[in-house]
Amino acid sequence: MLPMPAIEVEGLERKFSGGVLAVAGVDLEVAEGEIYGFLGPNGAGKTTTVRMLTTLLRPTGGRATVAGHDIVTGAAAVRRSIGVALQEAALDPLMTGRELIRLQATLHGLARQEGRRRADDLLDRVDLSEAADRRIGTYSGGMQRRLDLAAALVHEPRVLFLDEPTTGLDPVSRKGIWEEVAKLNRGGTTVFLTTQYLEEADRLADRVGIIDRGKIVAEDKPSTLKQELGPPHLALSVAGDATDRVREVVARFGKPLPSGDGKVLVELERGAGDIAPIVVALDQAGLAVESLELVEPSLDDVFVAKTGYHLAEEEKAEAAAAEASA
Amino acid sequence: MGNRRRNLATIGVLMARTRNELVRVPGAAIPGVLAPTIFFLGLNGVFGHLTSLRGFDTDSYLSFVVPVSMLQGAGFTGAATGVNLARDIEQGWFDRLLVSPAPRWVLLTSGVLSASVRALIPAGFVFTIALILGAHWPGLIGLALTVIAVMTMAAIAACWATMLALRYKSQAAAPLMQIGMFVLILTTSAYAPVALLQGWLQDIARYNPATKILETVRQGFLGGVSWGDTWPGLLALAGMLAVLGALALRGMRRAAV
Amino acid sequence: MSAVAHNARVVAALGARAVRQTFRRPQLMAPILLFPTLLLAVQTGGAGGAIHLPGFPHVHGFLDFMLAGAMMQSLMLAGNSGGIAMAVDLEMGFTDRLFAAPIPRFAIVLGRLAGSAALGLLSAVWFIAIGLIFGARIEDGVPGALLVIVLVTLSAMAVGGLGAAIALRTGRASVVQGLFPLVLVLLFVSSAFFPQQLMVEPARTIADYNPLSFIVEGLREPVIADVSAAQVGEALLAVVGIAAIGLIASAFALRRRLRTGG
Repeated sequence: MLPMPAIEVEGLERKFSGGVLAVAGVDLEVAEGEIYGFLGPNGAGKTTTVRMLTTLLRPTGGRATVAGHDIVTGAAAVRRSIGVALQEAALDPLMTGRELIRLQATLHGLARQEGRRRADDLLDRVDLSEAADRRIGTYSGGMQRRLDLAAALVHEPRVLFLDEPTTGLDPVSRKGIWEEVAKLNRGGTTVFLTTQYLEEADRLADRVGIIDRGKIVAEDKPSTLKQELGPPHLALSVAGDATDRVREVVARFGKPLPSGDGKVLVELERGAGDIAPIVVALDQAGLAVESLELVEPSLDDVFVAKTGYHLAEEEKAEAAAAEASA
Repeated sequence: MGNRRRNLATIGVLMARTRNELVRVPGAAIPGVLAPTIFFLGLNGVFGHLTSLRGFDTDSYLSFVVPVSMLQGAGFTGAATGVNLARDIEQGWFDRLLVSPAPRWVLLTSGVLSASVRALIPAGFVFTIALILGAHWPGLIGLALTVIAVMTMAAIAACWATMLALRYKSQAAAPLMQIGMFVLILTTSAYAPVALLQGWLQDIARYNPATKILETVRQGFLGGVSWGDTWPGLLALAGMLAVLGALALRGMRRAAV
Repeated sequence: MSAVAHNARVVAALGARAVRQTFRRPQLMAPILLFPTLLLAVQTGGAGGAIHLPGFPHVHGFLDFMLAGAMMQSLMLAGNSGGIAMAVDLEMGFTDRLFAAPIPRFAIVLGRLAGSAALGLLSAVWFIAIGLIFGARIEDGVPGALLVIVLVTLSAMAVGGLGAAIALRTGRASVVQGLFPLVLVLLFVSSAFFPQQLMVEPARTIADYNPLSFIVEGLREPVIADVSAAQVGEALLAVVGIAAIGLIASAFALRRRLRTGG
């Protein structure tokens, strides 16, 4: 028998008053132990979907189960099985970090001693032991997110929902959260992650789903989605006015691609294997090249192909920088 | 841990959190105490001579209005629970509670009980000032009735305000929460005995359950406590708490799936 | 366009925004119309028998007497609400946008006062309407009503100046909001709700010197009796005094804020 999926969604819909169909029939399945990245432009229905799966919002159509329980008829059981770190779930600035984790433990019915022990462990794990008795109002953004993550883990949930867990964080804090999520997942926790950072999805997610206008428009492993877009291409910057001659030479190796910034682009059927012959051919033709770069399709390219949008420009830049350094 | 102990523990920690708002914000308790105190002193200063009207059954306006101000303080305290809940909803904190497996009545009860306990602060303050200024001592039974009425009135107000907070999910609903309590408590024999009220107010006051509550509390301050003047007030308290409690719980259950 | 005309347009635009802001926030609007109306209703109904007390001025009904108190309460709270709104603007950085605009800085204060004046005007019309609907009589007729409207409008502007000064000085909405109880205290120790001579000590003595009493009497006179120049003069003097304090304090607070950057 196949293991039961951690999350199973069929035709999930949410219509708001005024007739706006924010989620228009979403189907998806997340396997036990998987990290599922949920991507989409703003207003695509990401948050509405997450709010329905976490029992905060009643669907107007379709059905879904989380950890084997129906999100409507078994809402109470769902709540016992999930941990939630919502993007806008505020932290009370007047509480201390330790108080928050203990409160969360009590909300989940842990006995006092157990709750205290768990709180200490978690605070240690997210590196907040020293700050645990300070008021949350004095924490930095990164500390607040780590605390929120720890609070979501206090009852060792089977399924963890993270809604944009690193939005607005500096790169170091972001990496810290990623490491923690990866570690949790290695321990068997299923993670449903929404994010607007493609790099985050690329790094963490086993599979990603892209939602646009309330519907899933693509779903697969990040690598498969990128492969679907076709082979990588080579980008060459040429010195002087030799651009046309370079284009003639490289066209023998693959389909030339249009380029807007003066570079010569060519699709490589065989990927990196084509680079050496191209360099040799250019050398024989006496053509000098300033730079040469093999560009793999990125998740952003997938995103654009599927939704027609780029995610915010700065994220694109970040993703590009990350790819260049990888 | 047993279900009941678990629920009690949850109510305890949530009440502890609301206590933070009083203890950790310097001066946070002051407005809640100040408003009913100002009203109390103001009403005395302004309307104190109303007792000379024929049909006024006491010569101490202080004793006559101290129950009004204590109940008003309880009403404001309860309304503040709703304002704070609306803030928690706006800021997202409330989602944290909603996605937890805690039963919805536990979430409601923690807020309502907090309001009941908190209401003793302004009531105690007004009561002390009143005694210092010469209001009558209500007797132990009268005092016990006062405490019951103040705590229950705060609970009623908290249920009312919670219901509105869950309905409107915005602090912009705050005036509605306060006005509801304001109207409930002042369209009674708050200023003068029912017989001396103007026609339209007299009609409202006769049917307003808060009049019975007010008169239950007032009897100790004006003379002696009798069962005949007590049970209607207790019945009114229980009835209003049951109705508004049920409505607030319904709102709480509908707040999420 | 001349500089004066330009500045007048700026002040009008800011004033219009202040009024819109108040209408769109129930928290700001409720204290200006709703609370005073409700208090007027319950006090009239509850303490209406007071007109039979020996020494109570001759009135047609307690409502006639109370209208001035309700308007006074309303205009005081309009000033307070204006101060809160201004402090919120400062907190949110909206005022910086205005500071950066090519307009005289004091136009920002004047705009706020124009808003307070408009709200005062609204309040006066509202309470006169309420009074007439529920059977009050304005002894001095239309001229009396107009006098009341002018006085309320001017007073709202004067009190608004105080609100603006406190907002500019502190820059914090919570501080201005915290003055709400003080407003109530000032009203209770004035003749807003009851004849001075029938109040209980020490409120009675304080009311004798409270400038609000002078304004209230100026508002009440045209409703319940014949206008006397002396009463109106005293009211105007009190309004001018409050306005002067408010404007001077606002100017200082504004200068300090611009010099120290907040």
